[in-house]
Amino acid sequence: MDDLLNDFLAETAEILAEAGGALVAWEADPSDRERLDAIFRLVHTIKGSSGFLALPRVTALAHAAEDALDQVRRGNRPANAALVTAVLGIVDRLSEICAVLGSKGAEPEGDDSDVIGAFAVGEAAPDPGAEAPTEVAGIPMRREDDLGADLQNWRSIRVPLPLLDSVMTGVTDIVLARNEFARMLRESGADPSVIASFDRLSDSIAGMRQSVSQMRMQRIDKLFAPLPRIVRDLAQELGKKIRFTTSGGEVELDREMMENIRDPLIHIVRNAIDHGIEAMGDRVAAGKDVTATIAVSARQSGNQIEIEIRDDGRGLSPDALVAKAIAARILTATESRALATKDKYELVFRPGFSTASKITAVSGRGVGMDIVKSNVEKIGGVVELRNDEGRGLAILLRVPMTLTIISGLMVRAAGQYFAIPRGAVREILLESSDSVRIEKLGGGEIVTVRGEQHPLLRLEQVLGRARDHRDDADDRALVLIRPGQGQSYALSVAAIHDHEELVIKPAAPMIMATGLYAGTTLPDNGRPVLLLDVQGILAAAHIDASEIGRGVDRAAEAEAEANAARNAAQLLLFRDICGRTRGVRLSVIERVEEVPALALFESAGRVQAQIGDHIFPVHAARLPDGHGTIKLLRLHDGRSILCYPIAEVIDIVRLPDLVQPAAAPGLIAGVLLVGGDPVELIDPYWLMEQYAADAPAPTPRQPLCRLADDHDGWGDNFLAPILRGAGYRVTSEHTDETPDVLLCLTEEGVLEDGLENGGVPTIRLRVSVAAAGPDDETVYRYDRGALLDALRRRLGGGRP
Amino acid sequence: MMEKLYLVARIADTRVALRSRAINSVVTVGTPVEVPGAPPHVAGLFALRSRVLTLIDPHVVVGLPSVPVAPGQRVIVVDVAEHGYALLADQIEDVCFIDAPETRVAGKLMPGWARVADAVIEHEGASLLVVDPAHFITLPALKAA
Repeated sequence: MDDLLNDFLAETAEILAEAGGALVAWEADPSDRERLDAIFRLVHTIKGSSGFLALPRVTALAHAAEDALDQVRRGNRPANAALVTAVLGIVDRLSEICAVLGSKGAEPEGDDSDVIGAFAVGEAAPDPGAEAPTEVAGIPMRREDDLGADLQNWRSIRVPLPLLDSVMTGVTDIVLARNEFARMLRESGADPSVIASFDRLSDSIAGMRQSVSQMRMQRIDKLFAPLPRIVRDLAQELGKKIRFTTSGGEVELDREMMENIRDPLIHIVRNAIDHGIEAMGDRVAAGKDVTATIAVSARQSGNQIEIEIRDDGRGLSPDALVAKAIAARILTATESRALATKDKYELVFRPGFSTASKITAVSGRGVGMDIVKSNVEKIGGVVELRNDEGRGLAILLRVPMTLTIISGLMVRAAGQYFAIPRGAVREILLESSDSVRIEKLGGGEIVTVRGEQHPLLRLEQVLGRARDHRDDADDRALVLIRPGQGQSYALSVAAIHDHEELVIKPAAPMIMATGLYAGTTLPDNGRPVLLLDVQGILAAAHIDASEIGRGVDRAAEAEAEANAARNAAQLLLFRDICGRTRGVRLSVIERVEEVPALALFESAGRVQAQIGDHIFPVHAARLPDGHGTIKLLRLHDGRSILCYPIAEVIDIVRLPDLVQPAAAPGLIAGVLLVGGDPVELIDPYWLMEQYAADAPAPTPRQPLCRLADDHDGWGDNFLAPILRGAGYRVTSEHTDETPDVLLCLTEEGVLEDGLENGGVPTIRLRVSVAAAGPDDETVYRYDRGALLDALRRRLGGGRP
Repeated sequence: MMEKLYLVARIADTRVALRSRAINSVVTVGTPVEVPGAPPHVAGLFALRSRVLTLIDPHVVVGLPSVPVAPGQRVIVVDVAEHGYALLADQIEDVCFIDAPETRVAGKLMPGWARVADAVIEHEGASLLVVDPAHFITLPALKAA
């Protein structure tokens, strides 16, 4: 019975979270029948299972909600905010009861008529909720179609997490045993057939290991499920209108990881609603849509998951942040002047900082972004801000896919291996590299890398060990480490080994107490390796690794300049659609676009590409064959864009100085050698020249042509397109702007507005071919040449 | 019955009896990996299948100089607070049922031993110190603090 109850509670908790989100989505679009059916099924499931477990309160509540929803389905009741609020009330009450059920094992006493009674509000039909509590045991079965979709749920089962963990440990043991066995096989010089069959076993073990780690994964939309509800309630409370969207719900994440980012995520969303989104009046004043948007999206990149929470609110104001920080005594005015804009944004992560000018009931509860940041960092994640002042803020949480597996850099020092979390590593350099300068200063060491100074720590010294005499001085490397925002230091190690995916387990307390290690890991060779605590090392060495005042900005500028200089002389190598290797200066490429082959079309003998709302010329003799996608280099000369179809980008290399020029100007400017192979260099000047003639010459201002007396629409339908094609703007309405020329479609029509008298040149059109006389200044309305001529004479504008 | 089952071993140059329910297993040590910066009684880490065990040198715990780990040496694996530890043993004698009562330690012990010994028990005509393996792990951490 206990197992049943536990299953019920776990299932119900999930259903309630899902139902909350689904209800809010349904409220936004009550015509969404499918969603309504889904909510109905969820409630129905709770009712069904609670009846089986004899939980009368739960059954009554679920029944009331189900009944009301059923009436909506049958069209007997309108779907409105009152109904949704009432159902949400039921959902909340059910959550409370389930919480007590979980701790006490029995349904608490209580009266639910208040939440059930809420259905009576605004209800047209006779109140069915009132009779609900009496119907407890008899669960009327709904039509077959109601339950059809539930079958999906039966295709998965619940497994306790410890069981999964033990399977995981078991598989790890198997992997280690396999490695040991493989070594023994190699040493014994076994028969090839034995080795072949061992390899088969080995492959299936690898596959199994993969499956086991997938078993712990859950779709991230579980994490997103409660958010719509939170947004709805909070937006209502604060009188804001918010459109909430989520995407990437199919991304999978380790269960445990999910638990760890739930609170930070909710906090960020609440913050966005409370502080980020302006009051409706302010939004109107700022010319924004009254309905604000908050978008939560997830995507997987490598073995990391990126979750972005983007709002279109007011964003962060660096000056306001600084003022706030000074007021909160986190920062002195002197320090503030040394801060770069980026550092100012980082102020929100300082403990004791709150961006709201007043503490609100919603998010100003002493839980700040510092807690969010430390929680995310605790699980090996990173928080990033992307601010667009006045237009919104995006917060990016980047977390490893699983709690226990991280990407680590293996380094050697004092004759043994250590791991450094890859996420904290900014750069790896050889000590002998030209861009590195190491100096001893007052007993300490600092290293300057491209103008940027970092404190230098030697790993052997930090660990209190001597250098291993077998180490080769040439191998010594510097690992630039960024342990947290705004901090960096260089760690000198005897050698860099490689990157590995590491399963991290906590080390024994007395080892963790040293502060130097973050855990242990067991690579496939079976020799334990300690994971270094990059923050702890800093503390142990008693150094200030803060970047403030180190002239980082100057260095960053220098770096940007160096990059720009490099870009100017970089060559993009690509294979064109005929398979030839060609190159083009990187700086003329705006970007590489991948478009469906269907976006290319032929028009007036030229191949063109439609990208978004624009049409660009394409350098191709004919349309490419086949379907699928095609890559286009977008060449940009500052004014116009030309697309150059390619098969693939090969590399970006330094442009060699030696170019063998081509004999005659053409597509190929010359040939150069890259890595010993000849590469044809594209001449962007020639290319652009070919297409520049086609591009419409930008006229500074197109003359405005006013059509008058257009009674039958001839002017609008027949004449206006010709005029527009000739480079005029055409209007037949009265505008504030004085027209440059007036076209009167009748021979004697009266001109209103006094435009004629206001000095606006006028052309009158006549219907007959022949002129009325030698003085007739009118133009026959189907004489295109004469008409355009007349316009040009009057204005001196327009294109021939 | 389990309460009366003891592992008789020689650790830190002394014959002791360890209550068997505190013990996970007795295994042969692999090549340990050093832990720089760790307290002196931590002799290193080694892997037992997929578990990483912390190797404890009881000599240091009772105040003797540390001894190097010999390949193939046997260790007593104990679990304390969900972590696995291995106590280096000079010699594993036997697992046996001792019916005699545990008695208070009468004589004066070296300070290190006094910390880890709970009682004395009579076995085959000799007195053995009854030690709790957990004391080897937790006490020195306090001492180091």
